[in-house]
Amino acid sequence: MFGVFKGLGVTIRQLPKKKVTLMYPEVKPVWPERYRGIHEFIPELCIVCNQCARICPTDCISLSGTRDENKKLRIDTYDINFEICILCDLCTEVCPTESIRMTDQFELASYTRDSLYKDMKWLYQNHIEHGSYQALQAAKTEEEANAAREAQAANAEAASGAGQKASPEEANAARMPADETVSSSGKGGQPE
Amino acid sequence: MDVGGSSHGASLPVIHYEGFTEEESQELRRAGVVVSTLEQIKGWARSNSLWPMTFGLACCAIEMMGAGASHYDLDRFGIIFRASPRQSDVMIVAGTVTKKMAPLLRRLYDQMPDPKWVIAMGSCATAGGPYVRSYSVVKGVDQIVPVDVYIPGCPPSPPALIYGLNKLQEKIRTEAAGKRVSS
Repeated sequence: MFGVFKGLGVTIRQLPKKKVTLMYPEVKPVWPERYRGIHEFIPELCIVCNQCARICPTDCISLSGTRDENKKLRIDTYDINFEICILCDLCTEVCPTESIRMTDQFELASYTRDSLYKDMKWLYQNHIEHGSYQALQAAKTEEEANAAREAQAANAEAASGAGQKASPEEANAARMPADETVSSSGKGGQPE
Repeated sequence: MDVGGSSHGASLPVIHYEGFTEEESQELRRAGVVVSTLEQIKGWARSNSLWPMTFGLACCAIEMMGAGASHYDLDRFGIIFRASPRQSDVMIVAGTVTKKMAPLLRRLYDQMPDPKWVIAMGSCATAGGPYVRSYSVVKGVDQIVPVDVYIPGCPPSPPALIYGLNKLQEKIRTEAAGKRVSS
């Protein structure tokens, strides 16, 4: 008889507590760092070593590449069949250049099976939209700025007297136009 | 615990009135006049009361239960799990369908009243997944029943399932308006 009130008591005691529901379509979930979402692919980094296709437990990756004039392998096609991909992360673990990675993206449901077959273009678009594109770009610009700063420091050192120490690599790494005149003078000082 | 009414108001779908411009439909919406075909109203009602069948076959069912529990809370979309095919109108095929299970799955689908929809949840139900070379697994549940939405993943996380269910709701509304969905 009083069991009902006991149960209702539990219900009522929950009412003032904090709501735990994540309002998903409006609020996006925050995933941990190593969440395995849909892949992103960066074609410039790929060296067509075929390791991802070999280790794939379901053989859902198919790729092809050709040698360019410098005898370097370039990727031509890269397809992932998400019908059977189990997002196991093995392809990203073996990739030596980190050209294939996992993103936080998970919204891949579709009305047809054919549209789950994703090509290189789509995966690169995923890289730009949801992947590490912005982080990579930020890292690249920061690296360039650091190299420029280092080159500038080296050039300043060279200009102050110790001209023998300025290395040409560091001077070449600088891409800022203001530095080029200084670095060329530094290079000119080297053979003497 | 979630009080049902609080989360619903904002997520009500906007009905697009046929044969009116955007300004006219906005005016009609503001005035609260219902101008629509009966089919669209039916589509709106059906899409907001999807009752899936409690039908878990493998690990995907655990994620389906997780989506139904309070952290993701499918009840706020009007999605309430029913324990009988006679009361349900969506079948979420959550898991590996073996060849032994296939006739039973078909029977359960046949027992559901029209209109009915099917969601293939996970790689196994979509195409066989890791068992794609197995002798005993059906390579995709679309060989047995017509599938409306495919959700890839192994298993798909609860938000991915909710995304798929929202796509199904979208499909029901679009088809009720007399248009065809494209992926």
